[in-house]
Amino acid sequence: MPVTTYLDAIREAMIEEMRRDPRVFLIGEDVGSYGGAFKTSAGMIDEFGPGRVIDTPISEVAIVGAASGAALMGMRPIAEMQFIDFITCAYDMLVNFTATSRYRVGSSCPIVVRGPAGGGTHGGPFHSLNPEAMFMNRPGIKIVAPGTAYDAKGLLKAAIRDDDPVLFIEHKFLYRRIKEDLPTEDYVVPIGKANIRRTGKDITIITWGAMIYVADDAAADLANDGVSAEVIDLRSIIPFDEEAILNSVAKTNRVIILHEAPLTGGAGAEFAARIAEKAFDYLDAPIKRVAALDVPTPYSPPLEAAALPDKARVLAAARELLRY
Amino acid sequence: MPIDVVMPQMGESIAEGTVVKWLKKPGDKVERDEPLLEISTDKVDAEIPAPASGTLTEIIAQEGQTVGVNTVVARIAGEGEAAGASAPAQPAAAPAQPAPPATAPAPASAPSATAPPASAPPAQAQAPAPPPKPAAPAPQAPPAPKPAEQPSNATTPQPSEENITSLDERRRTKSSPLVRKIAQENNVDISRLQGSGVSGRVTKNDILDYLQQPEAAAAPSPALASGNEGGHPAPAESAVAAPRPPAMTFAPGEGDRIEPLSMMRKKIAQHMVLSKQTSAHVTTVFEVDFTNIDKLRRRHKDAYAERGAKLTFLPFVIQAVVQGLREFPVINASMDESSVTYHRDLNIGIAVALEWGLIVPVVKNADEKNILGLSKSINDLGERARTKKLSPDDVQGGTFTITNPGIYGGLFGTPIINQPQVAILGVGGVKKRPVVVETKEGDVIAIRSMCILALTFDHRLIDGAVADQFMARIRSLIEAGQFTL
Amino acid sequence: MTTPLETHGLTRENLLAIDYFLRLTRTLEERLVALFRQAKVIGGLYRSLGQEGESVAAAYALDYKQGDVVQPLIRNMGSILVAGAKPSDIIKQYMAKGDSPTRGRELNIHFGHPDRDGFIGQISMLGDMIPVMAGITLAGRMQKRNLVGMAFIGDGASSTGAFYEGMNFATVQRLPLVVILENNGYAYSTPTAKQSAVKTLADKAHAFGCASEVVDGNDVLATYAAAKRAVDRARAGEGVTLIEVKTFRIKGHAEHDNQSYVPIQLIEEWSAKDPVVQFEKALVDAGLAATPDFDAIQARVRSEVDTATDEAERSPMPRAEEAALGLFAGDGYWGEG
Repeated sequence: MPVTTYLDAIREAMIEEMRRDPRVFLIGEDVGSYGGAFKTSAGMIDEFGPGRVIDTPISEVAIVGAASGAALMGMRPIAEMQFIDFITCAYDMLVNFTATSRYRVGSSCPIVVRGPAGGGTHGGPFHSLNPEAMFMNRPGIKIVAPGTAYDAKGLLKAAIRDDDPVLFIEHKFLYRRIKEDLPTEDYVVPIGKANIRRTGKDITIITWGAMIYVADDAAADLANDGVSAEVIDLRSIIPFDEEAILNSVAKTNRVIILHEAPLTGGAGAEFAARIAEKAFDYLDAPIKRVAALDVPTPYSPPLEAAALPDKARVLAAARELLRY
Repeated sequence: MPIDVVMPQMGESIAEGTVVKWLKKPGDKVERDEPLLEISTDKVDAEIPAPASGTLTEIIAQEGQTVGVNTVVARIAGEGEAAGASAPAQPAAAPAQPAPPATAPAPASAPSATAPPASAPPAQAQAPAPPPKPAAPAPQAPPAPKPAEQPSNATTPQPSEENITSLDERRRTKSSPLVRKIAQENNVDISRLQGSGVSGRVTKNDILDYLQQPEAAAAPSPALASGNEGGHPAPAESAVAAPRPPAMTFAPGEGDRIEPLSMMRKKIAQHMVLSKQTSAHVTTVFEVDFTNIDKLRRRHKDAYAERGAKLTFLPFVIQAVVQGLREFPVINASMDESSVTYHRDLNIGIAVALEWGLIVPVVKNADEKNILGLSKSINDLGERARTKKLSPDDVQGGTFTITNPGIYGGLFGTPIINQPQVAILGVGGVKKRPVVVETKEGDVIAIRSMCILALTFDHRLIDGAVADQFMARIRSLIEAGQFTL
Repeated sequence: MTTPLETHGLTRENLLAIDYFLRLTRTLEERLVALFRQAKVIGGLYRSLGQEGESVAAAYALDYKQGDVVQPLIRNMGSILVAGAKPSDIIKQYMAKGDSPTRGRELNIHFGHPDRDGFIGQISMLGDMIPVMAGITLAGRMQKRNLVGMAFIGDGASSTGAFYEGMNFATVQRLPLVVILENNGYAYSTPTAKQSAVKTLADKAHAFGCASEVVDGNDVLATYAAAKRAVDRARAGEGVTLIEVKTFRIKGHAEHDNQSYVPIQLIEEWSAKDPVVQFEKALVDAGLAATPDFDAIQARVRSEVDTATDEAERSPMPRAEEAALGLFAGDGYWGEG
């Protein structure tokens, strides 16, 4: 089984799907001859030609809009945002036209919007966004955020094959740092299923994206103190695996929700409310969220580190819950 | 079926329209879409066409009248219907009716039946008698803002003096949803348990441990009722789930007075039965000559009084008991289905009768105290028991209990074991009686202060021979009177 | 004595068909106004009185059998009637009925699937449809279908960023897209002079590098000809054309708008240039048609509108239980597998 980086896994998914299904194509800025700002689509124009690997002007509205129009006609476009931050430029198109297409008029609009998200790379306020909460409350768009190379490949395939729009949030910090042995045969990771990364019985950490590794480290430290933490990688934000969350809380009775996006109005708020609503009787301590400060992500390393959640904050929260 | 002509909604926010002019009169024939009337609204004036062909039968809204959107303003008899068959003219809807009419707002004077009190009351403790407050509860200070904290996160509810107590009490008595659920399922009173969480909160582990080993986290309830002093002690621990026998029922007779049981009484009832169902109760009775310790007591009681201690028989009994427990550790133990736990410490509970019930404060490590120390402890615990100043620590951790059924002159009692202990000693009344004394010169009759000690023991763990040997040892220690004061 | 008329390749049959669509548009809208004033149409009603000519004429230049797609705005109902939309569907949409093409979820002429119907409804965020239409024509090219897209846009909507991004993208990609920019002088209450400093809106084509033309939108045949030229160019692979059609809305922004901000003489001036009246007069003058033709067309139109109204009035409202359904594929609400 070949060792594959998270980034290569994304490229492989696109290539394999484009080979499998002639309706799939990639459209975005610098994706063609340049191979993508992060080289995610390197070599693809050579195999598939400029007709299916389309370089566009700087026009996120046009990228998402044209992808949506093409999808209505039966194509399966992958619209790349060079940084997922720029999806905000096409927010109107994505949430008002694309996401509502089926509900409003019964028209399937199966586009995938994908792009690198997240901080930790000193990208500053406009190259560090974690966008899931912005779209969570606009029904009609699925949202996934893989943290492993395996999930990146499997979820991107699932997204491309899905008959509805999917926002595929990939994390730039993981692009070349994560290397895994991946299966060579075709596989899909189903949208809406969480992965239990580590089973435990004393406390649950629910998380996704690059934060799964922070959770792993925190769980290892807690294990040294004799505390057994369960780490759940949600992988899908909409739809999310409510059953996995509730089962875990019922088992451990203490839960931390960890996400890289800012705290207030973040996706964790939804999960916390859901737990309080449906697993109230299983809580032996308040629900805690560990998230970024409510600020745009700053650039200078000490500021960025202070703004983003880290293992120390997770451990502090865990110990507080264990002491409660 | 007559056809309604309604006031249309000429724009999203329009709620009413005014009839300006009727273009037809009742009895006129109208064609579908033919203009019927002119209306005026905030945004635009318009001609309203007839919705169907037929005869205009009645005009309900007159010229100049303003009606709400969707109000019927006229009726048309469709083609084929009798033109005269119309309902009697109804008065037009009240002018300027908002559409749709909202339900009338509740009258301002009607008080809500469940209006909350103006200020949050302090949390109610679950036991009817307020449990003793834990020593120095930590005040609920808001967390100091740290550099790494959220800028927008600094607001925690600022507690008032009143709330400080109630938050701690809430945590101690209400704990968490999970613990409440477990408590309810197992009929446990959370407020009677000692907790290891914040504010002394009973955590999940605390209550689960308790349910497996009732002594580990439990504080026996200070509020065990019995109306009379000297009632049989046996403040059994709060109910572990025990099989409940079927309740006996009876019909009240004429003139009978029915009172609901107090919580305290209910708990005592449960605990008494529980203890009986748990242990195999056997009582062994020994007659002990207290004359020598009576002499000691008389000789030293004034000196003790000066030192603030009222000297009774009890410290001597305790010392003898403690020695006996050292020699027969199986009587200072607890057991479950598969093992016996020999307690390291000798914590002797002393049953104290109170006006409102019974309490068993514990003299911790009684083997480390001399007579004076024991005396002071007993006095102190008794005093604090009567003034409700005992702490949870004072009433938990006992390994053996001594009670005094002889206080009203009874010969002896057959006390019920204080779970999860395995024995309890009842001290009967000390009476002067003629007894036969064996001397070198032969048997003589002497007047001696005699006391009957009754030990109820758990025959699951302790056999009669062991119990009797223990009692024999205590008797010989007491009768020898070799106590250091 | 006949006046010669350039019909740009249209036969008498075509011309009468155009007249049918013009009258159908007008009569259907009049019926909708009546229904609106009978509180049977829910929400707003936006007439295209005065603009039926350019709506019908431009849309008539497409070849729906080739898969061409037209995208109307609110004042282009005539264009989707040309593409084959059913009057009963339109009335059901306006009446919010449960068996409307969108099952009560979308209003007025916001309906239609580009592949199945040959037309696609807009969304209210103006300008967004230009990139979408670009994508539709892009897909047509990828699928090796020689289809042409036609998008309507208003003078006001041509100020939006989405318009610029879509036009730029379509032009640089050389997509087969015809964009009809209806300049009717007003965007709600905003006159065009406040909308843009550009005197001739077609000149915006220079920003994109595409072809452009200006035409009298109330001249049915001239508009048809301009549209046909652009459609042919697109089908030949020559890319985007921006056609500014000059026209006027006689009835203001909507039925609830009394257009008090429009000078009366402007309304009178344009009313005298009614596109349907002018068209029919030109046909009569050229000896291509006569009043009985128009009467017959009107009778047919009236009958169709009546039948459509009756059908729509009989339709049920949607069921409340359905409100949560049909968001994603999987519950089969829209009949998908």
